[in-house]
Amino acid sequence: MSMDMNRRAMLGTAVVGAAAATLVACKENPAPLAPSVTKADFKGAVAEMRRVVGDEWVFADTDAVIPYSKTYIPDPTHRYVPVGAVAPSTVEQVQELVRIANKYKQPLWTVSTGKNMGYGMAAPATPGQMVLDLKRMNRILEVDPELGTALVEPGVTYQQLKDYLDENNLPYWIDVPTVGPIAGPVGNTLDRGVGYTPYGEHFMFQCGMEVILPDGRLLRTGMGSIEGSTAWQAFKWGYGPYVDGLFTQSNFGVVTKMGLWLMPKPPVFKPFMIRHAEMSDVSKIVETMRPLRVSSLIANGNLMMSAAYQLAMFNRRSDVQADPGPLTDESLKKAAKANGLGMWNTYFALYGTDGTVAAVEPIIRAAIGASGGEVLTEAEMGDNPWFHHHKTLMEGGLNLDEIGLLRWRGNGGGLAWFAPVAAAKGKETEGQTKLAREILEKYGFDYTAAYVIGWRDLHHIIALLFDKSDPAEEKKADECYRELVKRFGEKGWASYRTGVNTMDLVAEQYGQVNRDFNQQLKDAIDPNHILSPGKSGIK
Amino acid sequence: MAVFNWGISNEANNWSGGCGYCHGKNVGPVIRGRALPADAIKTIVRHGQNGMPAFRPTEITNSELDKLAQWISASKADPKELGK
Repeated sequence: MSMDMNRRAMLGTAVVGAAAATLVACKENPAPLAPSVTKADFKGAVAEMRRVVGDEWVFADTDAVIPYSKTYIPDPTHRYVPVGAVAPSTVEQVQELVRIANKYKQPLWTVSTGKNMGYGMAAPATPGQMVLDLKRMNRILEVDPELGTALVEPGVTYQQLKDYLDENNLPYWIDVPTVGPIAGPVGNTLDRGVGYTPYGEHFMFQCGMEVILPDGRLLRTGMGSIEGSTAWQAFKWGYGPYVDGLFTQSNFGVVTKMGLWLMPKPPVFKPFMIRHAEMSDVSKIVETMRPLRVSSLIANGNLMMSAAYQLAMFNRRSDVQADPGPLTDESLKKAAKANGLGMWNTYFALYGTDGTVAAVEPIIRAAIGASGGEVLTEAEMGDNPWFHHHKTLMEGGLNLDEIGLLRWRGNGGGLAWFAPVAAAKGKETEGQTKLAREILEKYGFDYTAAYVIGWRDLHHIIALLFDKSDPAEEKKADECYRELVKRFGEKGWASYRTGVNTMDLVAEQYGQVNRDFNQQLKDAIDPNHILSPGKSGIK
Repeated sequence: MAVFNWGISNEANNWSGGCGYCHGKNVGPVIRGRALPADAIKTIVRHGQNGMPAFRPTEITNSELDKLAQWISASKADPKELGK
């Protein structure tokens, strides 16, 4: 495999200057305040916040806000820039900050670790917000070694939780998204993110929350409100309406603690890769994998990675095809073959004992063999970097390999995830892949995509990769993304999650009644609209 | 507080638990052993260079970043690192 690309030239003072120049807000041209906030209000809010958390943890000038403004998403009008940030370290400080925000009508955009990578990072969905940065609240409050549960604060990273389990010899795994080392379970779960082990549907394995409501009251969900209960992290539902979902992809409260379940480390873990030769094979892959997944013979989500997505992780586009025109199947096949990949590469694992794995493997091999796929394991793939990457994720391991996608086109680093959902049926892939390629290629971008069978659902995960240092390309990426959302939505393929740049657009697709209901809830509990206005299209 | 709030207390661990996930692993460029100026490293960390995310003072404080930048600047090259 070719690993000789030289990227040393990327560093240097000229490039540092370019990074600073990409930010439009500056001392002479500061980011705008929220419509409800005067300069005096903002000054008053900042002064009171300083008294609560200390000067060091309030960031209210343009330079100090720079790290909160970095995004990968297309933002040609530089709309997604906060006016400040404040970083509490305790629940009581969060309550005080919410009180101050209400007093001055200063909106707060809540982030946990602030690494919502291709969805807007820490940046707010509307102008004028201060980021409520919960990263300093980073305590692992409890891990129950018998139940396999954890209670954590929002600033805890997956790295931190894994280190804790390792250092204490606790026989549990975590389940990570692709950027586990710097992201964390609270933020990822609240945005309904997913991972790669049998515990990959993160919200399903969440249990109990502590939430600061917009009026400053502290709510504990589920059994958390029962004094003396031992079941806050053991029983999800509590009594009466189940409200935890209201605090995901929403702006109805600030989650300050969250419980989650940890997967017992299995005695045997055997990762697989299936290689298919043609782009058109994806439909039959879905048909083959669905019954295996629905029956839980395969217990983790099935990830089908296209050759282009895989190659983009560790290569530049020019390595795969010199011609800047649309990527051809011929180019992709050639590069894929040279790297031990197929046009579709499907990853899953078996988890259990020697006996259970030995019993299930022949059933799976027979089904996959009938689909024309090559079934590969560690014995055949060895240290192939793609196999290693997916093996790591499927055992809750940590890496940041997929950040490599950011240098596929140029050095500017542009990425927006587009993630429409359908039923897990093969025929869904035919229209989706065709439509995605048509739209992407119209704007000069590549179909770098994957499909995932979660359980009965099919997520189409498209990485819109562009060079953000080129303003014309950033503008095209913005237009392209909006067309993807619109035209997929017209066919019933709406997103399960989206970036701050398109929250209104996606919310519109879910219909007026849905929007009105969310807004009625918001107006009732947060009449000053101080918590994360714009999140999921809720003002 | 430690770098990235992981309870990590020295620069070598900060490297392996943070920067080293990308730099030297074919994701970001190799930066050790190049005597890069510490001030440039600090600017890049706070701005997020190209495809690199920005890191906030809540993830790495200014004093921690000062030490880490000096450590990277003075580091020797590791021949095992890969930099595509």
